[in-house]
Amino acid sequence: MADTILIVVEQREGKLNRVSLETLTAAQAIAAETNWDLEAAVAGGSVDAIVQEIAKVKVKKIYAIESPKLERYTAEAYVSALKQFIGSKQPKLVLMPHTYQVRDFAPRLAAALGRTLISDAIGYRKDGTKLVFTRQMFQGKFTADVSFSCDPPHFATFQAGSYRGDRVEMGASAAPVEKIAAQADGSAVRVKPLEIFKEAKQAVDLTQAEIIVSVGRGIKEQKNIELAKALADALGGEIAASRPICDSGWLPMDRQIGSSGQTVAPKLYLALGISGAIQHIVGMKGSRSIIAINKDAEAPIFEIADFGVVGNLFDIVPALTEEVRKAKT
Amino acid sequence: MKILVCMKQVPQKDAPLKLNESGTWIREDVSYEVNEPDAYALEEALRQKEKHGGEVVVITTGPARAQQVLREALAKGADRAIHLEGNEFVGLDSFNTAKAIAASIKDEQFDLIFTGLQSDDYGYAQTGVLLAEILGWPHATIIMSIEKSDGGVRLKRELEAGFFQHLEMPLPAVLTIQSGINKLRYATLIGIKQAKNKPLRKVTHAEIQHALGPNLQKIEKLYIPQKQKKTEMLEGSAAEVAKKLVDKLKNEVRVL
Amino acid sequence: MATATVPKTKIAGGSFLIEDRQPEEVFTPEDFTDEHRQIAQTTEEFALKEIVPNLEKIEHKEFAVTRDLIKKASELGLTSVDIPEEYGGMEMDKVTSAIIADYIAKSGSFSVTWGAHVGIGTLPIVYFGTPEQKKKYLPKLASGEWVGAYALSESSSGSDALNCRTRADLSADGKHYVLNGEKMWITNASFADLYVVFAKVAGEKFSAFIVERTFTGFSVGAEEKKLGIRGSSTCPLILNDCKVPAENLLGEIGKGHVIAFNILNIGRFKLGAGCVGGARTSLLSALNYAKQRKAFGKTLVDFGLIREKLADIATGIYVGESLAYRTVGMIDEALRDIDKHSPDASTQIRKGIEEYAVECSILKVWGSEMLDQVVDHVVQIYGGYGFVEEYPAERAYRDSRVNRIFEGTNEINRMIITGWLMKRAMSGQLALMPAIKKLMDEVLSGPSMSEETEAELTAERALVGNAKKVALFAAGVASQRYMMDLAEQQEVMAALADIIIEVFAMDSVLLRTLKLMQSRGESGSALPIAMTQVYLSEAMARIEVAARKVVAAASEGDNLRIQTTILRRLLKHDPTNTIALRQQIATRVIDAGKYVTA
Repeated sequence: MADTILIVVEQREGKLNRVSLETLTAAQAIAAETNWDLEAAVAGGSVDAIVQEIAKVKVKKIYAIESPKLERYTAEAYVSALKQFIGSKQPKLVLMPHTYQVRDFAPRLAAALGRTLISDAIGYRKDGTKLVFTRQMFQGKFTADVSFSCDPPHFATFQAGSYRGDRVEMGASAAPVEKIAAQADGSAVRVKPLEIFKEAKQAVDLTQAEIIVSVGRGIKEQKNIELAKALADALGGEIAASRPICDSGWLPMDRQIGSSGQTVAPKLYLALGISGAIQHIVGMKGSRSIIAINKDAEAPIFEIADFGVVGNLFDIVPALTEEVRKAKT
Repeated sequence: MKILVCMKQVPQKDAPLKLNESGTWIREDVSYEVNEPDAYALEEALRQKEKHGGEVVVITTGPARAQQVLREALAKGADRAIHLEGNEFVGLDSFNTAKAIAASIKDEQFDLIFTGLQSDDYGYAQTGVLLAEILGWPHATIIMSIEKSDGGVRLKRELEAGFFQHLEMPLPAVLTIQSGINKLRYATLIGIKQAKNKPLRKVTHAEIQHALGPNLQKIEKLYIPQKQKKTEMLEGSAAEVAKKLVDKLKNEVRVL
Repeated sequence: MATATVPKTKIAGGSFLIEDRQPEEVFTPEDFTDEHRQIAQTTEEFALKEIVPNLEKIEHKEFAVTRDLIKKASELGLTSVDIPEEYGGMEMDKVTSAIIADYIAKSGSFSVTWGAHVGIGTLPIVYFGTPEQKKKYLPKLASGEWVGAYALSESSSGSDALNCRTRADLSADGKHYVLNGEKMWITNASFADLYVVFAKVAGEKFSAFIVERTFTGFSVGAEEKKLGIRGSSTCPLILNDCKVPAENLLGEIGKGHVIAFNILNIGRFKLGAGCVGGARTSLLSALNYAKQRKAFGKTLVDFGLIREKLADIATGIYVGESLAYRTVGMIDEALRDIDKHSPDASTQIRKGIEEYAVECSILKVWGSEMLDQVVDHVVQIYGGYGFVEEYPAERAYRDSRVNRIFEGTNEINRMIITGWLMKRAMSGQLALMPAIKKLMDEVLSGPSMSEETEAELTAERALVGNAKKVALFAAGVASQRYMMDLAEQQEVMAALADIIIEVFAMDSVLLRTLKLMQSRGESGSALPIAMTQVYLSEAMARIEVAARKVVAAASEGDNLRIQTTILRRLLKHDPTNTIALRQQIATRVIDAGKYVTA
């Protein structure tokens, strides 16, 4: 399996996690530049449905790594199965989406093979013969170029939203599938996964909202959330928040946008006092238009905003609410 | 329960950061603080100890300044501290950092090791998981609650999009703790006073060097992110800005 | 006791005028122990997370919130630093005490409430209480279960508190004192549980009493409507045949003045430290505003006149810290060897603090006037927004003003500064007179060649040396002219105090910077050096005005001409480019977004 890029596609409870398509898009771009082959692997109990879906994508081959031990996700079974498979195939590069599940097992998988993982990359660059991955550091204040200084296989994960899943190139014909009976060592699995559940009843489905007014640490006090609510009402939108606001109990958890909350792509995302930590940005950067109001001109949120205002939100928001009301009458 | 908490010192959240001359790292003349997720990990360890008894030990790597993190943890109630002290530890990749930690605790028997879910500087989210691999222990990440059960722990792990999962696992184990799992306490004056007399073991790079390997990855350079989007900045008084924004909402965003 | 390891010398109060100190001998914020730093951090964290989110409630006199904050602060130990361990306290050093006053200062109202509780409300019992009184009251005050207050002033006696009309008469059975009268301007009045009340026994002997809120005949009047610190409680107390158990007499009958003056002395260093903290908070608010506000297509921080103000504020904080921590450092040094288990430990501690009465008064006057200038600058930076209530500048401006009034008006404190030094000089306790005589001989013999030295900041050292000479010279001229009558010459006394205050400030900031240079080197101390140079230059100008005022009042004719010539010689110094220095300071502070020293 010389000079191959292997994508480990993510499935949860038998369903394809579509963020895997983004990683496939990235992998296709790398493959085009390096002339390496592109192959995909799906691990699980029985992964036929997902394999069918991925087979439409332009990849050279798909491996269906199956075992009853992989039916329900555990880091240990995944590491054990993938270690064996990757160890024998020796691809150049193993790519995965940077999901909570991948964060849970991928570092361990790389280490088990004596290799390393560049996690949460947002892009790559070919530097001579070397591949360099770009990733954010210091909460998005800087970008770093990171390279491997060990032999392949090299492991990297891509942040959600770094590539467009809908741009993935489809194949002329279905890719061939090879079934692998995983050697997952069940006795080594010490973690017992139990039920998956949702905590609070989702009062609103923010993913369906066309307009979202979202607040961050800059709102300072719980009572100031009313300012943002008034603006959301005037615009006919929903109120949402970054994680610290929900952690403080100022808004319910189901209003949280970001990696641990909801991922949204409304027509308008108005970020009030949100600095733009990566964990938040991944949940909203697909928005069609982003307006950011923040007192700190250096806040990373301005990197992705279409319109930015550096200023005091306590002045601007009431004035804006007023103007919106006027415009609507 | 005997719990080790891995803590990291990172630049303060609002500190203005500058690149060093070679563009490989930040200039070190900034104010530092405890990595926020690690503060939650410590708090959780202290709460577990208050419930079940035992000991809380904190560990960090880095130059002398990093000791601040340990002092603070001791003042909040940790029983003792281990400092892998030296500038040599600063440039280690996650794998080597985990190896260094593992080597420095080889004579200890912990039931649990906690880390924050990721650091606010690198943001790799790997050290805890790697430590589990090195020690051969089970692990779980992004933990939102921990209950002691017979022979192990019952955990609530956070998944994406508002989902959670319960897990059970035996001890010893490594857990990475999600921020917001609890409410942080303040260091009390009595705690600060007592912290002085709590043991702090220093470990030099030379002592654990044998356990380290070459770094497997390298930060080539650090730079200010290139803008992906053209941002139009609107200026003026609050009233003027509000008018301009409404104009944008009408004519460009078209939601009014 | 947690004490800093730094100054080892016991330094006599007021000796800064006549003795030169080495940088190693002064305590500075750079000498904070790990413990001090952590306490500063925990205090600030508490202030930011607990006080700041409640600012509006505090301001609207929701006293339940204020009391709850006191309770929470005591759970951290913040209210019991000055209370002995055996009575539930933390018994830590005075540097810690000052650090807390400094870093808790995010709200004028809360700081006043807090200061009244931990300072004048609690300390009279700490320093003058019997073991029984301490046992009964201190644990409750330490834990925040009870809040304390201090009742000295009356409607017709403020600065002249000893003229009080409230009287205390022993009941026929000798079991109670019956108090009658009305106290005024009592901080924490409406919600305190314990009041230290001053009254004259049999209408003659000025004495202090511990009065519980629930004693019969005790009631609290209506809230005053105040210019500032509106979130604190200030009411009259009405004592109408108020029955106070005889054992609640505090200290000795007729010795109430000892308590009254001593407690104020001690309170002053905390007030000074609190002003420094208030200035730090104000700088942050000014920077936040000035960094985002646009005018003429630029940001406010790009304008020279805004930068100048920001630089002045930062310099004020730096000098203030130097003064405050040098003073408390000296106090800690004086208290270091006291055996806290000895029966008269509290008396020794009190006397140790009293030694630095002048420094404490200076700190109070200088700190309150610095803060008043700072909040004025901040209102100006905010412009129109500084004049409206929605922005923090307005409240800070109003809140600051009271600092010049309470704990002894700044006028009274100026009298104390000069008067106390003169008294010590007369009694020979402080070798001021020989120093004055030596200086007089020296200046009359004409200019001497100054020796060239290679030391750092040579010019600055010379400047401070000359400032001390000006102080001695002016004091010499005034005492020659007025002799024992000097105390009656308030304007002259105040002008002398102005010089003395500046000398202590100049001396303290220079020593701190020199000490800092020892550890950071000259290049690492650029910002502190710039702040020192700006301050010395401006202070010298103020000294000149005050000295000329004294000399012009005290002398005439040839004498005046000679003395003016001498003054001119002593005040001579090369001009400092304070514009460039302030630009440099502003750049750094704006860049950091907060007060920094590097």
